[in-house]
Amino acid sequence: MSRFVIVTATVLGLALGAVGSAQAADAKQVYDFYCAQCHGVNGDGKGINVTKDFATDPRNFTVAADMEKRSDEDIRGVIKDGGPSISKSPLMPPWGSTLTAAEVDGLLAYIRKLCNCKAK
Amino acid sequence: MRLLAVTVSLGTALLVMTATPGYAAGGDAIFKKSCASCHYTDGPAKEKTIADQLAKKGPELWYAGSKFKKDWLVAWLQNPKPIRSLKYNSLTEANKGDHPKQSAGDAAATADFLMGLTSPEVKAGVIAAKASPQAKAIFGKKMPCGGCHEYSEKGEVRGGKSGPSLVGASKRLNPDWVYAYLANIKVFKPVRDMPDFASVLNPKDLEGVAAYVATFE
Repeated sequence: MSRFVIVTATVLGLALGAVGSAQAADAKQVYDFYCAQCHGVNGDGKGINVTKDFATDPRNFTVAADMEKRSDEDIRGVIKDGGPSISKSPLMPPWGSTLTAAEVDGLLAYIRKLCNCKAK
Repeated sequence: MRLLAVTVSLGTALLVMTATPGYAAGGDAIFKKSCASCHYTDGPAKEKTIADQLAKKGPELWYAGSKFKKDWLVAWLQNPKPIRSLKYNSLTEANKGDHPKQSAGDAAATADFLMGLTSPEVKAGVIAAKASPQAKAIFGKKMPCGGCHEYSEKGEVRGGKSGPSLVGASKRLNPDWVYAYLANIKVFKPVRDMPDFASVLNPKDLEGVAAYVATFE
């Protein structure tokens, strides 16, 4: 009986883990496709578009001290409505009509993973 | 007499038939043989997911006749210099500039074929080149297109690299297509790394930006 419970729990755990990592992979794909062009593949704000003409420094997602200051709602909002929605640069454009709500949530989780931080 | 008239008419018809479609059909065949492994021409857009877009080896061309200017296309196919400094779909690998070159004859025939591929979304003769202060402000500051696209300012190339370069856009792009693309981007590219600006700019502003891009040398 106990063996059955352990096996069931393990299988269930593996299945849940697989679902979790599939979501993480999706968020990475969404990030790489839309965000990395400015925020960099590693999230350090050094994307290919950031030349001497780029009028702002794209957010470096790996700096926890900065990212802790942003609430989850701020991050969702800036992804959907662009930089000016939080008085930041319009070089961060609005993605609200491009991304689904689930994709925005996935990006939020991915960005929180990059900074390894939560909102304070 | 009647026989003569019929013969002349038939002869004329035959001449017309051999002069026009024969050329375009050649372009179709050349395209299938040399280009179709990287570019698709049967619209509407097929991409539904990011993976679909990433699986493509080159841009879709099903609306090429609405997008490009023919003289540019004929010249480019013979001397294909990169329009984007990075490889297609990549943010890290350089564009090697290894797009196949065509002979003058093949380029003319291929361009003839491509110019026949149009989208009903693109209304002809609406946008004329014009650099208005409003459009300049949108392009430069309000919704900064230069963040992702290169452009030339006083002879110097500026701007980002993730999007196709807009240097020389006046010669390359049909301004009516640029407007249609900005106004209804999902029809042309359902999955792309450019935002949908029609959700935040009104049609007049989009017209202004298309007209401004049409002045780019």
